[in-house]
Amino acid sequence: MYGNAYIDPNEKPLSILDGEDPIKLAEFEARIDRGEKIEPKDWMPKEYRKQLIRMIEQHAHSEIIGALPEGTWITRAPGFKRKLALMAKVQDEVGHAQLLYSAAETLGKSREAMINDLITGKSKYSNVFNYPALTWADSCIIAWLIDAGAIINQVANSKGSYGPYGRALERICVEESFHLKYGHHNVVTLATGTPFQRQMVQEALTRWWPPIMHFFGPSDKISNHTTILMRWKVKMASNDDMRQQFLNMYVPKIWDLGLVVPDVNLKLNEATGLWDYTEPDWDEFKRVINGGGPCNAERLAVRRNAEEKGRWVRKALLQKDSSYVTPLA
Amino acid sequence: MNTIAIKELLYKMADDLLIMGHRNSEWTGLGPVIEEDIAFSSMAQDKIGQAGALFEILHQLGENEPDTVAFMRDANKMHCSQFVELPNGEYDFSMIRHFLYDHADQLRFEMLVNSSFEPLAQVAKKIKGELKYHVFHANTWVVKLGNGTEESKARMQTALNESWNYALGMFETGDFEKELQSENIFEGEEALKTRWMANITPFIEKANLKVPDQSTWAPILGGRKGYHTEYLQQLVEEMGEVFRLDPTAQW
Amino acid sequence: MIKSLDPRITREQIELNNPINPLADMDQWETYEVFHQKKRGDQHEHVGIVHAPNLEMALLFSKEQFGRRGISVNIWVVKTSNVFASDYDDADIFETVPDKQYREAGGYKVMEMINKYKKENKKII
Repeated sequence: MYGNAYIDPNEKPLSILDGEDPIKLAEFEARIDRGEKIEPKDWMPKEYRKQLIRMIEQHAHSEIIGALPEGTWITRAPGFKRKLALMAKVQDEVGHAQLLYSAAETLGKSREAMINDLITGKSKYSNVFNYPALTWADSCIIAWLIDAGAIINQVANSKGSYGPYGRALERICVEESFHLKYGHHNVVTLATGTPFQRQMVQEALTRWWPPIMHFFGPSDKISNHTTILMRWKVKMASNDDMRQQFLNMYVPKIWDLGLVVPDVNLKLNEATGLWDYTEPDWDEFKRVINGGGPCNAERLAVRRNAEEKGRWVRKALLQKDSSYVTPLA
Repeated sequence: MNTIAIKELLYKMADDLLIMGHRNSEWTGLGPVIEEDIAFSSMAQDKIGQAGALFEILHQLGENEPDTVAFMRDANKMHCSQFVELPNGEYDFSMIRHFLYDHADQLRFEMLVNSSFEPLAQVAKKIKGELKYHVFHANTWVVKLGNGTEESKARMQTALNESWNYALGMFETGDFEKELQSENIFEGEEALKTRWMANITPFIEKANLKVPDQSTWAPILGGRKGYHTEYLQQLVEEMGEVFRLDPTAQW
Repeated sequence: MIKSLDPRITREQIELNNPINPLADMDQWETYEVFHQKKRGDQHEHVGIVHAPNLEMALLFSKEQFGRRGISVNIWVVKTSNVFASDYDDADIFETVPDKQYREAGGYKVMEMINKYKKENKKII
C-alpha cells in the first residue's frame, strides 16, 4: 500500500547529468523511448539509480510499516472469515515488502542498509501509516480506500522503465485487488448494518479523509528534475492526476453508501471534468512526515523491537562461509 | 455414533487449533525476518481454517454457529490445552511449541484419517498437505536453532524444558477414551502420545537437545476440562471484542 | 512503555525511545533465486528471490512467498552466487543475421520446386 515517493523540497538542486557519458546516456534514453525495460546490470545514470532506490525503498518501508495499523486488529477481527482475510492481507503487505526490498537490492543497496535507514528514521515511508487505526472500522477504511489509492499508484508505476520494479508491482497489484474487494466488502457490511456500525464507519471515514487526500502528495512542482524523471519513466503520473483518478473512482462509491465525505467543497466540476476539493493541509502533511504524527514514534519503536528480537535468531542461522552477492533480477 | 464423545474430541481439537492459530497470528508483521514472517502467518491461517472446519462439524452436530462458539465463549468453557494459550514469548519458545504441538497435531489427524466418524476423516484427508508443511517447517527450525550459536542452543534447551510438562498436558485423557476406541473413532490420547514421542525424538536428537529427565515429568492438566491460565481469558476477550460492540450485528 | 491500540504491542512492553542498533552486514543472510513450475508439463520459471540461511529454509520460505496462492506444483532454489549469467552489455551476441536461415524451419521452402516439377512433367503424371 503506497502513495507516492516523497521528494524532499529542501533537497539541494541536483546537477542531474553531471559527469554522465553522453553516448551511454543517449543509448539509455533511446532504450526507454523504444519502450524497452532497464535491467539491473545495465548502465544507468547515477540519478536514475538514486531515485529508483529511494522510491522502491520507501515503497518497501511503507509495506512493512503498513502492516502495523491493520495488524492492530489482527487479534480482534470479528469471526473466522474476517480474521483469516485480515491475516492474509497483512501477510501480503509483508510479502510486498519482501518483493520490493528485493527489487531495490538489485540496484546495489543491501536489505540491511535499507532496514537501518528505516529504523534510524533516515528513510521515509508513506505518511498515512503514521495515523492510528482507532476502531475496527478504521481498518476497513484503510483496506478499502488506502489500498484503492495504492493500486492507482502501483498500476501507473508498474509501467515504469525499471524491469525488477515493474515485475514486483505486477504481482503486488494482483494481490491488492483482493485487499480492495475485502475492504469494500467490510465497509459495505458496516454501512448497511446496524446504526452503531454505520456510525462507526462514518467516523472512521471522517478521520481518514485528510490522510487519504494527503496520500498522493502535494501538487508536483514542474522542474527540470521531475521532467527528467518522467522522461526516464521513473515517475509515471503526477500526484494531482492520481488524486483526481482516485476521487473519480471512489467518491461516487462512498456516496452510494450514503456516507458523508467531510469536505463541503468536494464536487465534480462539470466544466473542467475534474474534482474540486478543499486544499489539504500541507503543513500538517510536512509536520507528520518529519516525525510529528500521532504514531511515528511508535511505528519506528515497534520496528526496532522486532528487528532486535529477531537478531539472535538470524545470527544463529548464519553460516560462516556465506557471502552476499547482489540478486540477479 | 456416540455424539457426546465425538463432541468432546472435536471441541478439544478445535480449541487447540483456534488458540494456537491466534497465538501464532500475533507474530504477523513482527517476525524475525520477512520471509519467515510470511511462512509463519500462512501456518497460523491454516490452523484457524482447520479450527473453522471442526467448528462447522460441531455445528452440524447441533452446536451453535462457528463464529459464536469460537469467538464468544468464556475461557472456562474452552477445552484447549494450557500449552497453546501461553503467550508467545520469544522465537525460541514459539518454535519449540510449534514443533511439539504440530507433531502431535499431524499425528492426531493421521490417526483420524481412518476414523469411523466420516466428517472428521474427511477433514483429516483434506489437510494432510498443510500439516506436512508445518512439521517440515518446525523440524527445520528446531534442528537449525539447536545447532546454531551458543545463545540459540541454550535458548532452545530452556524453551524445551519450560514447554515439556505443558506439552505432556496436550495428551490429557477425556471421559470417553474407551468409547472413542471401541467405536473406532479415535485410538486415544495414550496411543497418540506414544507415537508423538517416537516422532519427535529423532529431531530432538538432531537438534542436540535433551528431553527433560523423566523424573521431572508432571503433565500440566486441566485445560480439557476448562481450567486455564490467566492468559486465556485475556485472549478470548480480545477475540470477541468487536463482536461484543454490537452482538445483534453481522460483521 | 508504549500503550498501543494494538494489544500485541502493549504486551511487548516496548520503550518508545528504544535504542537504535543497526543490523550488521549479512544479518539478512544470502539470497537464493527461486524458480517455480505452475503445473506439471510447464517449464520452471524464475519468480524472484528469498533471503535465507540455507537451502532447506530457502525452500520453506519460497513455498509461502511464491506459492501461497496455490499457483505452483514445484519449486527450485539456487544460491544467487551459483548462477553464472551473461551480461546485458553483451546482448548483441544473441542477435542473429538473416543468412542463418539454414537453422530455421522457414529456410526450407519446397512448394515452388514441386509445382515446377509437376508443370514440366504434366504429361507423364
